[in-house]
Amino acid sequence: MLSKPQLYLTKVFIQIFLRNKQYIFFSLLLPVVILGIVGLNNGERDPVDIGLVDNSNSNISKEFINKLSNNALFNINQSDEDSLRNKLIKGELTLILVLPNDMGNTNKTTNIKLLADKSQINFIEAIKPIINETLMSVEREISEKIPMFSLDIEDIKARTQTYLDFLLPGIMAFMLMNLSIAGSGFNVVEFRRRGILKRLFVTPIKPIDFVSAIVVARMVIVLGQLSVIFSFAFFFLDVNIVGSIAHLFFVIMVSVLMFLTLGFSIGSLAKTQESVGVIASIFIYPQIVMSGVFFPIETLPEFIQPFSEILPLSIVADAMRSISSDGLSLLAVYKNMIGISIWIIIGAFISTKLFVWKEVAG
Amino acid sequence: MSIINASGLVKKYKDPEDKSKIFNAVNGVSLSINSGEIFGILGPNGAGKTTTLEMLEGLKDIDEGSASINSIDVSSNPYEVKKFIGVQLQANEYFDNMTLVELLKLFLALYNSSHDPLELLKRVKLEDKANANANELSGGQKQRFSIASALVNNPLVLFLDEPTTGLDPQAKRNIWELVQELNSTGMTIVLTTHNMEEAEFLCHRIAIMDYGKIIAEDSPKNLIMEHAPNKIREIKYGNMEDVFIALTGHGLRD
Repeated sequence: MLSKPQLYLTKVFIQIFLRNKQYIFFSLLLPVVILGIVGLNNGERDPVDIGLVDNSNSNISKEFINKLSNNALFNINQSDEDSLRNKLIKGELTLILVLPNDMGNTNKTTNIKLLADKSQINFIEAIKPIINETLMSVEREISEKIPMFSLDIEDIKARTQTYLDFLLPGIMAFMLMNLSIAGSGFNVVEFRRRGILKRLFVTPIKPIDFVSAIVVARMVIVLGQLSVIFSFAFFFLDVNIVGSIAHLFFVIMVSVLMFLTLGFSIGSLAKTQESVGVIASIFIYPQIVMSGVFFPIETLPEFIQPFSEILPLSIVADAMRSISSDGLSLLAVYKNMIGISIWIIIGAFISTKLFVWKEVAG
Repeated sequence: MSIINASGLVKKYKDPEDKSKIFNAVNGVSLSINSGEIFGILGPNGAGKTTTLEMLEGLKDIDEGSASINSIDVSSNPYEVKKFIGVQLQANEYFDNMTLVELLKLFLALYNSSHDPLELLKRVKLEDKANANANELSGGQKQRFSIASALVNNPLVLFLDEPTTGLDPQAKRNIWELVQELNSTGMTIVLTTHNMEEAEFLCHRIAIMDYGKIIAEDSPKNLIMEHAPNKIREIKYGNMEDVFIALTGHGLRD
């Protein structure tokens, strides 16, 4: 249990946070806006805008266009090649398909031209199979062949999962990281610079009192902030939470501890307020991109994926997602819990080795 | 009876200009400060005054030598010592968005003390600023608040590190009165200062430090008699500033 001085210091840290209304507002604004935009869009992605030039005007080409238009993933714009090219350059279209004059000539293979902006090449790779599939089904109908195989995808999880369900645990993990790093690394460097730490350490409190007060205070703060976001998504955006909320919040608590120890390590490495910003950026930014917070790790280049999977934010986001969206228990995410524990040990080791309290106080 | 005893204190640092070299910021300082005394430590910038104080306060490790306050060894029991000393630091910034009363309540909680924060503010004439933010105070008020925060545990020894630096004459006099008042209750006060008038006016005894060593130690009157120019042993001509310059030279340090 916490001693009276520890409890009082904890209370003061929470009080300081609550009085910084601007920080609270802006730290909640971004997640609310992102979740709001995704939620209002029903968690569905916008259809891909495709330009289509029909040079053949045959029955087959019409059939092809018809099939493609019926696919909800695509939004078809049919026009002449020049005006569509202009639209592609302006970014209004993702790609253009040009159906040649000889489409429908069953004696030879028809080459359909695909015009694309090179910057979109990865995305086009992703939708190419769907276009191919559409082409094949048109081909089968023309040749009146019955497909030998058909693949029926049945969702064994028997639930509907939207992008919002995927995004919410990621956003919460991301917030948790930011709040924890700010609470440990940034605060310690700031308190040291202003001589506040020194003033505290001329009283009989020990470094462990100070650290435990920060840890408990941050847990309360993060729980509060995440509860706001969670309630917003749950009540206003109709997010699906399948797993146990208690398990989810347990993961959150342990993760706060992990990011606090890592934050203390950053605070130990940094000597000035400027350098803590730079070191924290090096820690935070790659994780935003590589931790599967906004997009699944599987969409990243393959050689990066093993590295991404061991990042602290990936482990936390994955554990939270497994519980909230897939309904797994704490026991089932034991690998993530081991990962979090390893990071806690690494963080605690670096911060206790580098954090010289006498120097901090001096 | 002495309440503070220090013997052969040494503090080593890496030389900022040549990291491979070590220099002694404090180099064999021995002190014996009596209970109820106002003891001043004078010295040019970088002489080792603050480092000496911080070693006594348990804020910095003592590399060599030993120190005890009220018969308790500072190195082995720093947290015990901190319970009965009060410290006013040179820098006096506090947490943002907290009032003076709230800050005092925090310091009281850190000592498990149950003093009335308003009483403490009254003692330093800041009762009307009880709900003000510490960062809104004037220089003199900040220093008085800093002293109030050092009194939360009713300390036996009060350390003041340059308590009047940067203050106008009125604020300075006000702090002097406060120090004398506290001392009249039996509190031992150890202060560092650059202000010779202050040292002469307040201190019962003074140690002058230079290059990490104590180069003179006595009452202000005896130091003046001994070191001020035109010394005539019966009549006091010079003042503490003359003593200081005579002992540490005219050159600027930084």
